[in-house]
Amino acid sequence: MGKITGFLELTRIREAMQAPRERVRHYREFILTLADDEAAKQGARCMDCGIPFCQTGCPINNIIPDWNDLVYRHQWQQALDVLHSTNNFPEFTGRICPAPCEESCTLNINDDPVGIKSIEHFIIDKGWGEGWVKPQPPSRATGKRVAVVGSGPAGMACAQQLARAGHSVVLFEKADRIGGLLRYGIPDFKMEKDLIDRRMEQMAVEGVEFRVNAHVGHNVAASRILEEFAAVVLTGGAEASRDLPVPGRELAGVHFAMEFLPQQNRIVGGEAVDGQISAEGKHVVVIGGGDTGSDCVGTSNRQGAASITQFELLPQPPDVEDKPMVWPYWPVKLRTSSSHEEGCERDWAVATKRFEGTDGKVERLIASRVEWQKDAQGQMRMAEVAGSEFAMRADLILLAMGFTGPVATGLLEQFGVDRDARSNVKADTESYRTSVPKVFAAGDMRRGQSLVVWAIREGRQAARSVDELLMGKSLLPR
Amino acid sequence: MKLVSEVGVGTVAAGVAKAKADHVTIAGHDGGTGASPWSSIKHAGTPWELGLAETQQTLVLNRLRGRISVQVDGQMKTGRDVAVGALLGADEFGFATAPLIVEGCIMMRKCHLNTCPVGVATQDPVLRRKFTGQPEHVVNYFFFVAEEVREIMAQLGFRTFDEMIGRADLLDMRTGIEHWKAKGLDFSRVFYQPQMPADVARHQCEMQDHGLARALDHQLLAAAEPALGKRQPVRLNYRIRNANRSVGAMLSGAVACRYGHEGLPDDTIHVAFEGVAGQSFGAFLARGVTFELQGATNDYVGKGLSGGRIVVYPDPTCPATPEENIVVGNTVMYGAIDGEAYLRGVAGERFCVRNSGATAVVEGLGDHGCEYMTGGTVVVLGKTGRNFAAGMSGGVAYVYDRDGSFVQNCNTAMVTLEPLLSEAEQMAADALLITAGKGRIRHRQRFDEPLLRELIERHLRFTGSTLALKLLDNWEASRAKFVKVFPNEYIRALSELYGKENAVMPAVARKQKEAA
Repeated sequence: MGKITGFLELTRIREAMQAPRERVRHYREFILTLADDEAAKQGARCMDCGIPFCQTGCPINNIIPDWNDLVYRHQWQQALDVLHSTNNFPEFTGRICPAPCEESCTLNINDDPVGIKSIEHFIIDKGWGEGWVKPQPPSRATGKRVAVVGSGPAGMACAQQLARAGHSVVLFEKADRIGGLLRYGIPDFKMEKDLIDRRMEQMAVEGVEFRVNAHVGHNVAASRILEEFAAVVLTGGAEASRDLPVPGRELAGVHFAMEFLPQQNRIVGGEAVDGQISAEGKHVVVIGGGDTGSDCVGTSNRQGAASITQFELLPQPPDVEDKPMVWPYWPVKLRTSSSHEEGCERDWAVATKRFEGTDGKVERLIASRVEWQKDAQGQMRMAEVAGSEFAMRADLILLAMGFTGPVATGLLEQFGVDRDARSNVKADTESYRTSVPKVFAAGDMRRGQSLVVWAIREGRQAARSVDELLMGKSLLPR
Repeated sequence: MKLVSEVGVGTVAAGVAKAKADHVTIAGHDGGTGASPWSSIKHAGTPWELGLAETQQTLVLNRLRGRISVQVDGQMKTGRDVAVGALLGADEFGFATAPLIVEGCIMMRKCHLNTCPVGVATQDPVLRRKFTGQPEHVVNYFFFVAEEVREIMAQLGFRTFDEMIGRADLLDMRTGIEHWKAKGLDFSRVFYQPQMPADVARHQCEMQDHGLARALDHQLLAAAEPALGKRQPVRLNYRIRNANRSVGAMLSGAVACRYGHEGLPDDTIHVAFEGVAGQSFGAFLARGVTFELQGATNDYVGKGLSGGRIVVYPDPTCPATPEENIVVGNTVMYGAIDGEAYLRGVAGERFCVRNSGATAVVEGLGDHGCEYMTGGTVVVLGKTGRNFAAGMSGGVAYVYDRDGSFVQNCNTAMVTLEPLLSEAEQMAADALLITAGKGRIRHRQRFDEPLLRELIERHLRFTGSTLALKLLDNWEASRAKFVKVFPNEYIRALSELYGKENAVMPAVARKQKEAA
């Protein structure tokens, strides 16, 4: 276990970042990995708890105390092995995971939690840098063919696990490149895309076949997939954006975040985009206070927006949560992302009422303040504050209010799988089987919009279930 | 008496009850503190329900249940646990983990490292400030437990808790549990109630008769009245046998009642015994009381010794060589705090364990001598058993290492072994340490050699030990063979003390003190 008294002697180290003024000039990553001895100090703070809450706080149950200790002892390659034993893609999660592990770190009760994410980031960057990350092709092939539909983190994790178990896997992707929202949702300044390419190389050697521009349910028929493959895993994500049906929604300049963000990623990736939605010189309003909204803020800043305002419907959360009440769970508290640091106005408890403009182009947003109060049943209810209506100049409005579920048309219709009350594909987290034989579902498509790390978990677990179906038993971890 | 729940625990509990214990705890397998080893947590005992049921049945069958209270523990958490425990036959319930959690414990399992991050199990003042527990939280928790018990009692129709104890007939087994391990389980032996007449007690309802009226101490108390009342010296003689247990404890209680821990002037009450003493001879013996025994003893001599003096030597007519034979039993001077003991012969295992201030001279030892000792002085004139000085953090032991084998028997995890320097050598060594800025205050503020010599001389005087005489006759050679067992923590504390005293003491006063 790290240093026994490390948490008493050392303080949490924050990863160094380029200054906001510098980093908004480019789309590259700006967080610097820890140096060797910084990482060792970061790891030394781990207390090796009898009940490691971090490990249950982490959706993929990363064996955090173990690799903290190994990093403290400078045994990086072993640390990488332990990290990879539960996580297929630490370089993704080490960058963009909101780190629920750190919220459930025991030190977070009355001190700063261990910088777990920065250690993960360090280990995997070290591993790639030293050439320790190698393909793990199976020792023998099973001859079974599995289709994984959707190449986001769930699909990639599932495909890699199945390939390592010896199955021949085909990963279908509707877009022209692999990665799903990793590729086209998350901006490059948070995660550079060559990381995905590097993993694809590894997966290709392990036996995964990538099939892009293959939109199952549209240009590839589900029936053909069912004929050709012994099993199918649906990992198509939850891409149906929540809309804001208010007057003026049809005006030009009102867009979903998912129309706006992918274009910039394509341009950074060297593609040409006709008629790009650009924030340059515009007054931007982002509606929705979550991570996607924050990505819109960061991208708009880089494009040179004149002003950026972000609205959230809920009231402003407290700076510090009531720890005895919520620890070790994920707390609701004010989170200021790196994109916020780069400059934007944030406002809470604001409901948009309509958009106004001339010549079909949006110019204004009319909103009012709302109050949240408990009703007789104890449910929080929203009420408009009388006379609080205000107008806001807006040339570009980005809707980042979450996703309602998977896209219903095409894929899901053709497979004919049952859906749950939230419109997600119905499958349990033991077997991941849908209502249709040999069809599985995992990731956002099954659980609704969520974190990359949950997608990896579901992909891994679904792979095991598929392996069990095909082979009768499975040695893949759950 | 705390018993591990396992097959046969009922028989042990019956023996414990017959041996006059007031209380027995049946400890289930679930528990274990954060500091206990995995082996104990994982592999000791059975569920408390099994051990408790067996205990209750055995005690009732043997008509012993009424005079002993039965406690049960091992992850008790809810009122339901209490109710089930009562129906299986428990009077009392031990809660540990749950109230700790209420106080803020997060099960770090670091209780033994002094680094508890929530300040529950630590002495570190920085960490203790992080403790957020309040007594009210614990009170509130137990109110919930009690309320649940009350509700269950109301459902079962009991007015008092006593009515409920041992009513295993009211327990039933949930059927239809779909688990392969649950198939074929038969609880009828657990729920069995012995068929005994109604007048046989099913719960604790009378006190143990400890037979204290026959204790030898009553005679001592009467005979020592002049000393207790008027501080006049008394000299007494008794024959003693192994049925006389804890001799001296009541007498010491009487001394402490009147004179406190200060006690009486040295040797005011001198009792000479002859024979073989029972367990706990001279337990808690107070200052001013001397017990001199010609013969031998059982275990626990001088337990919690509190200032008195104990002298034991064998019958001179006994042909055995005293320094090669046992004269006192195991666990002598356990937890002694003050006083002295001179033992002409060899002691058993666990000698002076947890001693915090008493002095003892003995001619040989079994295993685990001076374990967890925190203070006091121990002189061993012969061989020790293995694991000597394990966990020893204070006090000093001087061991006569005739053949150089002592180092193999000493657990040096926490102690340093040093040669016993002569007075002049030690003075020179101290001067070196002081110039290096790490001076040491001496054990009992004396040089080792005169202290040791004095103790051996007293041993000779009180016990007539020929071994002591031999060592003293050839002192220079004997001294060279003594090893000083010096705990590292004690060395550190003494050095710090020295630093502190020097920091506050003006230079002039220091010089005067050094000159003195």
